[in-house]
Amino acid sequence: MTSPHGNLDATRVLDLTREPGFFAGKLLGDLGADVVKIEPPAGDPARRRPPFWGDATDPERAIVWLALNTSKRGITLDLERPRGRDLFLDLAARADVVLETAPIRGLGWQDLRARNRRLVHCAITPFGETGPRAGWRGSDLTVSAASGNLYSTGDPDRAPVRCTLPVSYYHGGIEAAVGIVFGLLARERTGEGQHVDVALQEAMVMPNIGTAAMYAMTGNRGSRAGAFMRQEKSVAREIWPCKDGFVSFALRGGAARIPGLAAMVRWMGEHGMASPKLQAIDWKGYNHNLLTQAEVDELSREFGAFFMTKTMSELYRAACERNLMLAPINTAREITASAQLASRGFFVDVDDAGRGRLRYPGAFARSTATPIGIRRPAPRLGEHTAEVLGELGLGAGELERLRAEGVV
Amino acid sequence: MTELFAGTTVLEFGAGAAGPVATRYFADHGATVIRIESRQRPDFLRTLRLTPGSPGGLDGAHHFAVLNANKLSVALNLSRPEGVAVARRLALWADAVAENFAPGAMAKWNLDYAALVKERADLVMISTCLNGQTGPERHYPGFGGQGSALAGFNHLTGWPDREPVGPFGTITDSLSPRFAALLLASALLHRGRTGEGQHIDLSQVEGGIVCLTESMIGYAANGDILTRMGNRSAYEAPHGVFPCAGSDRWIAIVVHDDDDWHRLVRALGDPAWAADTRLATTAGRLERVDEIERRLAEWTRDQTPDAVAERLQSAGVEAAPVEDFADLHADPQLAHRTHFRPVEHAVLGRHPVEAHAMRFSAMEPRFHSAAPRLGEHTEHVLRQLLGMPDGEFERLRAAGIFE
Repeated sequence: MTSPHGNLDATRVLDLTREPGFFAGKLLGDLGADVVKIEPPAGDPARRRPPFWGDATDPERAIVWLALNTSKRGITLDLERPRGRDLFLDLAARADVVLETAPIRGLGWQDLRARNRRLVHCAITPFGETGPRAGWRGSDLTVSAASGNLYSTGDPDRAPVRCTLPVSYYHGGIEAAVGIVFGLLARERTGEGQHVDVALQEAMVMPNIGTAAMYAMTGNRGSRAGAFMRQEKSVAREIWPCKDGFVSFALRGGAARIPGLAAMVRWMGEHGMASPKLQAIDWKGYNHNLLTQAEVDELSREFGAFFMTKTMSELYRAACERNLMLAPINTAREITASAQLASRGFFVDVDDAGRGRLRYPGAFARSTATPIGIRRPAPRLGEHTAEVLGELGLGAGELERLRAEGVV
Repeated sequence: MTELFAGTTVLEFGAGAAGPVATRYFADHGATVIRIESRQRPDFLRTLRLTPGSPGGLDGAHHFAVLNANKLSVALNLSRPEGVAVARRLALWADAVAENFAPGAMAKWNLDYAALVKERADLVMISTCLNGQTGPERHYPGFGGQGSALAGFNHLTGWPDREPVGPFGTITDSLSPRFAALLLASALLHRGRTGEGQHIDLSQVEGGIVCLTESMIGYAANGDILTRMGNRSAYEAPHGVFPCAGSDRWIAIVVHDDDDWHRLVRALGDPAWAADTRLATTAGRLERVDEIERRLAEWTRDQTPDAVAERLQSAGVEAAPVEDFADLHADPQLAHRTHFRPVEHAVLGRHPVEAHAMRFSAMEPRFHSAAPRLGEHTEHVLRQLLGMPDGEFERLRAAGIFE
């Protein structure tokens, strides 16, 4: 039995965020919340950023906007004007959640709380709302720099390097959504909302998976090894070129990996590409930490030569069939063509009368009881202004006046 | 208020980071999180650097310790039917169950959702694995390194003229616990309101791909394949990481728009090269980004990262030092937020664990105990919490079920 809504059914969210907060609002919408994106009358700056869907510079077709604002309704409201602020206060008085990435004078948590004790209010900021660096400007590159995560990403002979897309906004966005739902759970008990302060810098420390805390015991400051992995006595390749791209494969041992190494050598042997010496290795006693660099290099030559005879998709198919711990370095093309994702119905076509149909990654998870996933296309500028303000009781005449005054 | 999850019990099966980091969100806010472990197949984080001489053996692993604070450990031998029976009683008694075994493992023990829900209609359970619980590739074996490659993060990380590298720390292992915590919390909210339970299937690869929607719909819309581009941005310049004084010290600097550029030029002391009016627009700077980066590197090279960051930030220009793991322990902002919290570990002594990135106005996370020794709480959980009669407990112990 599936209920028609979602885990966050009947939760009203006002989303004031710029790009770093888009993902948080989208996740709440994907879980069934009624998320209203509020933009200035000129539109969010993300609407003006290339690339666009098609050739034209069109604020309704900016890829970043379309990607991260699905499952939201959209209104325009000029929060610089008194009438716009009054309308926002009215909306916030009826809302469960307000989400922001920059404080708006007079419309902060304390101001809103005075009218709505049940409000859960969340701010996503680069470094947090208080503290010595609270006033620092920050975006994905700088918060990642200050998190320990950038330092250990990249090649040893070059600067630390980031992911082309802003990973910190995804981490911070999910963290904010967790904080908001914790706030809603607490409200079930106390009847009161609260404020949640999410820092992107701090959100990017967790992706180091404990190694930052471990420094106190290990003295390991981190390091960059590029396509390689450091072992006790050597470095060994992890990212290998193959016929049409790259694959990830480790020469590391351990109970979980050794069967895959042995199976890989068997497969290479079927192609006549495993030397007698390689085939003679007793993998049961294999320990990568005992290998010298010369031994690693010798192994790597054989594996590397074999990978160059196969495509990413041939190697991955064999990995699934033969339990090899090998993965293709997928681009959007391979991901779109994935048989696994197709069998799970992962991709969804999002239809929008004004813009056409676009294929999206769908649900970030699935539930037996409640639907998760895209509810509606990213809103066009002001698409739901009349609808949302109408829910406040505003009539057509008043809306016309607000339009003429430039408030919406 | 009292702790948010006081009185809530979460039962955890699994290993590594993807599942266990998720339940920490609940443990830090008062939930009783019980790990089911065994000596036959210990969590690989307990054995990562294990040698015969390791202090504390399975209980002395650093990596396990920093990820599993605030939890209880029950040792159960799941290769014995009596062990499975105890796990089943715990699962039906707990408020939620989280597991990150390979698909099919829980079903083998009859501990999967389909089996448990027959006896507990409002069960809330989450299963997370690399490719999800269904589909032809569900049994594909892998760790986060493979998840990151499959989801598309590696291809997007690194230098365009080099191999892809992937973000440090196998990113699907850090995104998944956050997704799992969100899903579990929202499922508890839903059950509280409607009485309805649910089973959640979180594919770590799918969650990662949803994060990268921008890349995916860019391909769907225009056929464009986004790729790695070092630290540069396609629409802002300069946007990079520059060398500083010292060994392997760096500063990140970002200029978002033309006003930022003017502030940066002033902070540099209005050098002649920067006066070129063609650099006053983003388009002009993108065209000559090589030259701008070279000039900036000359300027940063003799300064410390902190000095450059302070100087530029006070001029209104975005900049931050590249911090390594040691630097994080001296970072004034993380100190202000008390990111690192001490716990007292039976083998390792006093060591830090990490807080999450959210701070609440009306509640505080609490760090009351270090990661458990394997089976440390078997007796406490089974006798005190579950109410197992003394005779039964002793009989099972003698039979070696708590191993």
